[in-house]
Amino acid sequence: MEILVCVKKVPDTADAEVVLKADGTGIKEDDLASGINEWDNYAVEEAIRIKETHGGTVTVATIGSADSEDVLRRCLAMGADNAIMIDDAAFKGADPYGIARGLRGLAGKGSYDLVLAGAQAGDDGYAMVGPVLAGYLGWPHATLVTSVLLEGTTVKVTRELEGGLEEMLKMDLPAVLTIQTGINEPRYVSIMGIRKVRAKEIPVLDPAAIGLSPGEIGANANLVRSAGLAVPPAGKEAEMLKGTPAEIARKILDIVKERGGVA
Amino acid sequence: MAKVFVVVEHRQGAIRDATFELVTLARELQRSSGLEPAAVVIGRGVRGFAETLSKYLPRTIVVESEALADFRYETYAAALRDVLEKETPLVTLCPQSAFGMELFPRLSVESERPCATDCIKVAMEGAGLSVVRSIYNGKIHSRSTFAPSGGYLVTVRSGSYAPAAEAGGAGAVEDHPCPPFATPFRTEFLGYREAAAGAVDISQSPFLVSIGRGIKDVENVPKAQELADRLGAVLSCSRPVVDKKWLGKERQVGTSGRTVKPKVYLALGISGAFQHLAGIKGSGVFIAVNRDAKAPIFGAADYGVVEDMFKIIDALKEQIGS
Repeated sequence: MEILVCVKKVPDTADAEVVLKADGTGIKEDDLASGINEWDNYAVEEAIRIKETHGGTVTVATIGSADSEDVLRRCLAMGADNAIMIDDAAFKGADPYGIARGLRGLAGKGSYDLVLAGAQAGDDGYAMVGPVLAGYLGWPHATLVTSVLLEGTTVKVTRELEGGLEEMLKMDLPAVLTIQTGINEPRYVSIMGIRKVRAKEIPVLDPAAIGLSPGEIGANANLVRSAGLAVPPAGKEAEMLKGTPAEIARKILDIVKERGGVA
Repeated sequence: MAKVFVVVEHRQGAIRDATFELVTLARELQRSSGLEPAAVVIGRGVRGFAETLSKYLPRTIVVESEALADFRYETYAAALRDVLEKETPLVTLCPQSAFGMELFPRLSVESERPCATDCIKVAMEGAGLSVVRSIYNGKIHSRSTFAPSGGYLVTVRSGSYAPAAEAGGAGAVEDHPCPPFATPFRTEFLGYREAAAGAVDISQSPFLVSIGRGIKDVENVPKAQELADRLGAVLSCSRPVVDKKWLGKERQVGTSGRTVKPKVYLALGISGAFQHLAGIKGSGVFIAVNRDAKAPIFGAADYGVVEDMFKIIDALKEQIGS
């Protein structure tokens, strides 16, 4: 089983202040911690588990620059066999279609049975690259996958629907699956583990090496074009409770009793 | 006249609510930009859904086939592509749901129409379409336009538009012949599966103490459980806690978990992803505690506390006594 996993490094904005660049084209990432996209981490783990059961190899790939190398090394330390970086210089400002074209070029160079990607990314959240890539490859796909079971030349998956419901699907290989968080428990990566893979060569491919011309992937090729970012207008805001933790706790209990009528 | 189409989402014999939010958006595009709205219903035995939609929109297009009995992107994208090629709507809308996320990006490639997903605002600007998306955990809004195209695909985040009321009067219902499918099919629908029900039903509790990513470690979960017990509340959580298997799926509040309407919702260390907030709509008093003053949860809560959740847990326990 030859598996390609598409990963991406993203800034961690869940618990941090996000500040726009002065020209409004992006956010200031210098002060933000960053790491592998959460969904992608589950995808890498799932690929390694499949390899452990069925044999084969796991290749992780990213479209990025030197600062994404740590993410790829982390994947190698988890148990991926190979890592490939596609130099992202020509992809600057690319929309999900540009990214998917790059990944199609890469997938076309191998003979993969399965391509896994995170169901979405924690930064721009399009949730498009996986199914668009499948469309370009002409392969079956499933999004929001919560379990994967290989059966010969087919794969059985469950997809997460709303309200705790799942659907079960079967499809022919090769296929593209986008992985939902919670599908597995990603293994811990130790510093020792990362050290062990520090010498592993990570080839860096330029667009020409995957059969793409720069005109196909840069911002000029975008089908969806960014027209600027903004801080959301302040909407209804909560009434803030202030004071020492003890004072706040008292206020919370009062609200619970008086307005909630419980406790 | 340019058209705007709403792709009707239905599952297990019912139209899903998000469809009616898109009816509101389609009417808005009609009012502001003169687009002619219509609904598109795809499936088997969906005539009844079309009758329902005809009370909301002036035109409903139905594609019926045995092969469309269960949703698969493979057949639905082929049927929808045929409708788009013959009808050439300028804008086609679908909910950003497990249905829309599976269908629209793929349809975009196969119908050669650009797609923007998870939009919270959609408007015509001159002859072009403009959308707003909420990114970076809801902390930034991004406006996008499209490369010129004869048609655009847009999926819309649930809750972005209010559900529509019936328009009064009956719209036209038209059959669109189902196109032939490329066979053999490469995907097969095998059935639905309910997530295993657990020992608790959080939707029945009038008071929920809910924990999120801020709980940090499985060893901290008992602290929250103890607080919930002392308050006479039930412990619930947001998705990251279930993803890490620290609590069971039956305790998850949100679109992919349970929808709840307690009298009091006390959220501890929950940032407030829209999928979570959609699960507590219509709740009574909503109090949120989070270290991050910019967390989106403060835009939804009635009362907010910017503080370490563990300090508040300890202070609450102290106030209650033992």
